[in-house]
Amino acid sequence: MVGSALPTKPSTTPKTILETGSTLLYPLMGAWTQAYQKQFASTSGTSKGQPYATIDTGATGSGTGLADAASGTVDIGASDAYLSSSAKTSTPTLVNIALAISAQQINYNLPGIKNLKLDATVLAGMYNGKITTWNDPAIKALNPGVNLPSMKVVPLHREDSSGDTFLFTSFLNAQAASDWPSSLVNTTITWPKGSTTAETGNGGMVSGCQATKGCVAYIGISYLQKTQAAGLGTAMLKNAAGKFVAPTSATIAAAANAQTAKTPPNETLSLINGPGATSYPIINFEYAIVNTKQSDGIKAEDIRAFLHWTVHTGQDPTTYLDPVDFQPLPASVIKLSDAQIAKIGA
Amino acid sequence: MAASAPGAGPAEGAGDSPLSGLPGDGTRGGRGGLDVIRWLGRAGAIIPLGALIFIVIVLLVEAIPAFRYNGLSFFSKSVYTPGGGGYNSVIVHTGGAAHQSGASFGFFSSIIGTLITTLIAVLVGVPLSIGAALAIVERLPKRLAAGVGVFLELLAGIPSVVIGLWGVVTFGPFLARDIVPFVSRNLPDVPVLNYFKGPINGLGQSMLASGLILAIMIIPIVASTARDLIRQVPILPREGAVALGMSDAQCAMRVTLPWIRTGLIGAIVLGIGRALGETIAVAMVSGNNIAGLPSNIYGTMTTIAATLVNNLDSALSDGSHFTVRTLAELALVLVVITLAVNVAARMLVRRTSGAALPIGPGL
Repeated sequence: MVGSALPTKPSTTPKTILETGSTLLYPLMGAWTQAYQKQFASTSGTSKGQPYATIDTGATGSGTGLADAASGTVDIGASDAYLSSSAKTSTPTLVNIALAISAQQINYNLPGIKNLKLDATVLAGMYNGKITTWNDPAIKALNPGVNLPSMKVVPLHREDSSGDTFLFTSFLNAQAASDWPSSLVNTTITWPKGSTTAETGNGGMVSGCQATKGCVAYIGISYLQKTQAAGLGTAMLKNAAGKFVAPTSATIAAAANAQTAKTPPNETLSLINGPGATSYPIINFEYAIVNTKQSDGIKAEDIRAFLHWTVHTGQDPTTYLDPVDFQPLPASVIKLSDAQIAKIGA
Repeated sequence: MAASAPGAGPAEGAGDSPLSGLPGDGTRGGRGGLDVIRWLGRAGAIIPLGALIFIVIVLLVEAIPAFRYNGLSFFSKSVYTPGGGGYNSVIVHTGGAAHQSGASFGFFSSIIGTLITTLIAVLVGVPLSIGAALAIVERLPKRLAAGVGVFLELLAGIPSVVIGLWGVVTFGPFLARDIVPFVSRNLPDVPVLNYFKGPINGLGQSMLASGLILAIMIIPIVASTARDLIRQVPILPREGAVALGMSDAQCAMRVTLPWIRTGLIGAIVLGIGRALGETIAVAMVSGNNIAGLPSNIYGTMTTIAATLVNNLDSALSDGSHFTVRTLAELALVLVVITLAVNVAARMLVRRTSGAALPIGPGL
């Protein structure tokens, strides 16, 4: 049985929905579930104030969310990346439903130098060890007139498997495939000799970069205020149109809007290196991974109701998205998400 | 687990309090309470053995396809590539094992990194521990010795994640800012010493920091055991040594330490076991460089335990499950190394025999 009309509120039979996965999405998921449980709570009797659907959230990492959703141990897996090809093969009933849009900034620690211009070729060169100093001709060529020091480049990467690593390596591969092969695109990779230092989590990247002059690091956009407080520079990245753009809500929204038309019905799409002169090149969908074949019809209805709520009420910028620097989904993508949510049944 | 269930039966049947069968209340054997204790004892004896066998079997079942596909290069390469097409790799089958196309794994750097950091920990930690133990027993005034002893035991109780945090926030940056640049600048340019020259990252994440953090973690284990052993050395041989004109140092080297040699080996093995398997502290200070061994001790590296904890999440996104199998194979390697150290220590103890081991004859 596949639900055709999407429920707008949970069933009145109390159910618990389990969610685990992406640490990047976790703060937003937490805000969503709190508001949702408050909005749909019993108003009478002994259970007054009790939510109809309890939603347990956990920050376990995207891979765990995906594997748990596939094995059925949780109902919703949160992931920064769409389903891997092999995961789709092994569990064909899994779908990835876009919930919001995130982005990634490239930061560096060069005292006194702001708004450095970088592109994937130069970043790939730093990470694979071809570019070792900041006054390398390749960096100079992108930044005429900037007095670059002869300081050593220290590229940092994430030691824990991370959606951020997936986004960054996707960007390098998309713009500079000859320097960065597709085998080096994943949530954890064997880093080439250029990058020998790893940090745990986005927070570790910020403190590691702050402690190391000459570092370069990729950090989730939700850490924007922390990277600025740490005195790190934010790079302007070359986009597909050859223009250099900084990560702002305008450039992220421009990149998202430029790609809504080509988003397929299953929403499996890399938004990396999208078209448009003002588009920021490293943005992504945040996904809910759900098995469309649930064992319990009432629970399936509750999952549909909750996810439907997140892509409508949950898209409100001031209440939910701005605090984590996420961007709302474009209207046409919300339609695709709704269509996928409707497939969840028992 | 299964063994404890029947144990509950007789106790309920007898209708007594579980304590009623204890010696002193007039009843003996055969009745409720004692049966419970007997069954609990049996279960207690079987569960550890069962757990070890269960863990090894589960790891083996998971890892056998990985053994077949990864082959010997598992031990000689340093690479973690779940799929050649990256995130878009498809599932293929080789020799019955499902894996992502182009999957390639090798953990040379993790295995050697584990051994080297443990070696650094032992080289630094064991002499310090023995020195501390000798000082506590033979040198320090009694009240001060008791105080130092308490701190030693408190150090053993600090969770490793706290030590790791201290390593990243305080100790590593201190090494990177104040120690390493000074040492690197002033060492003569001699081949062997070049392992002690080189740049280090700002948080001090390196092989050196990992080894030293592990040393700090094994010191309380080795030192408190050594202290208890030294206390057991009879006074007569030591008095004899002093009567022969030996200095305190000579007495310690020639009488006290040889006397407790066997127990000391046991204590060091306990320390090695801790160092080999320590995960989170090393994951925080090693820099987790899986791609190869560093060219000097200030380079980043990784260990088996740190590799396992850092790569599990990405392994779970491999739909073929092969990356998880590969991590199981790596875990099995760690289990084998740890067991091998224990067996080697047993043989060493047999050969040298002497005073009983501090942790019983089971080691």
